[in-house]
Amino acid sequence: MAGALTLRVITPDSIVLDIQTSAVRLPGVDGQIGILPRHAHMVAAVDVGQLSYNEGGVEKSLFVSEGFAEVKGNTLRVVCEAGELPADIDEERAKEAEARARARLKAQRGGPDAVDMLRAEAALRRAIARQRVLGLYARERVRS
Amino acid sequence: MGNIKQITRAMEMVATTKLRRFQDRAVSSRPYAQEIAQLLGRMSAAMGDKLQSRPVFAAGQGKAVAMLVVGSDRGLCGAYNSALFAALERWLEEHQGADVRLFVYGKRAYQYLQKRGLPIERYFADPPLEKIDYRLAKFTAKALLEAFLSGQYREVLVHYTAFESMAKYVPTTIPFLPVKPVAGKANEQGGASDVILEPSVETLLDKLVPRYLETRIFNALLEAITSEYASRRMAMKNATDAATDMQALLKGVYNRKRQEGITKELLDIVGGAEALRGK
Repeated sequence: MAGALTLRVITPDSIVLDIQTSAVRLPGVDGQIGILPRHAHMVAAVDVGQLSYNEGGVEKSLFVSEGFAEVKGNTLRVVCEAGELPADIDEERAKEAEARARARLKAQRGGPDAVDMLRAEAALRRAIARQRVLGLYARERVRS
Repeated sequence: MGNIKQITRAMEMVATTKLRRFQDRAVSSRPYAQEIAQLLGRMSAAMGDKLQSRPVFAAGQGKAVAMLVVGSDRGLCGAYNSALFAALERWLEEHQGADVRLFVYGKRAYQYLQKRGLPIERYFADPPLEKIDYRLAKFTAKALLEAFLSGQYREVLVHYTAFESMAKYVPTTIPFLPVKPVAGKANEQGGASDVILEPSVETLLDKLVPRYLETRIFNALLEAITSEYASRRMAMKNATDAATDMQALLKGVYNRKRQEGITKELLDIVGGAEALRGK
């Protein structure tokens, strides 16, 4: 395939994805990063969120957790702790996690324990990102 | 005797399956570990001289040495633990006077070290090594990193059994902290400035270090438990073989005894019949 980009998602447990794509959008720590074929050599920190890619004209996505991305010579390697395809995501669990995290945040608003607060926030972001990959959350909806 | 043989055979089989599972895990975690190590090498090269100012890359201010000892929770695994302890004793001999504080995995190791009267800083009992996953490694690496950054220690070491092959597992001590990154190739160092870094070298490096430590711990723990099962498999195989030999031997003894018994009974009957006839 001419001008294609190889996308490889690598986690400690396996290589989740190894495909040819025409465009990728990934969650950088400072906002979304779009990557097209022939991108310059780049190393970026990846945040928890939704990584979308185009495979054979179809827009697909997967959930990624914190990690790194490197584009070099038309290959994009995403190295992160977790990479879950829609089929691997447990919808019920993500919903429950979201409810739990929201309840905890509410209970702790203004509370003394900043660490728990951060933890709950992180859990909430993961839960929402997972659901977004499943197409359950509208893309416009920003993190609350 | 046959029962014992059945048990050891079953344990051998279980060990073989588990061994294979842990080996697969180790293999599939390798690409991730390699990527992280490479990225770290590249980023630390890009940092240049500023690298030494990062606390994780410089030797600690403390005097003590922290050591993570990875032993097994259960016995029946041949010389696995004793080889590990023997290597540790050798290390202690070579580094006499070192103020070693221990972080321990495995009940056997804990019991031994406690009996030896060595200072145990922390014993990771739960979750057990048996249930190893990446999160366990993450947790362990974090504990060690925090200990190092507390300033009490000069360095952190990991003492575990490296897995080389099914028949070869070597107790090894490796330096863990401060971080000594795999040096990037010289020509790559020059080219590092051409790379777009998002958001910055410092941020990337700070994020990479914990990940790198995790992969190293994950690998060490996986190798340790793989070695444990390889050792157990071997021990059980030897036990099964010994049981087979002994069974053959005992079968001979048993048959002879049985023959003897039959002969005796026959003599009794014949004797009894003779006596009756004599009346």
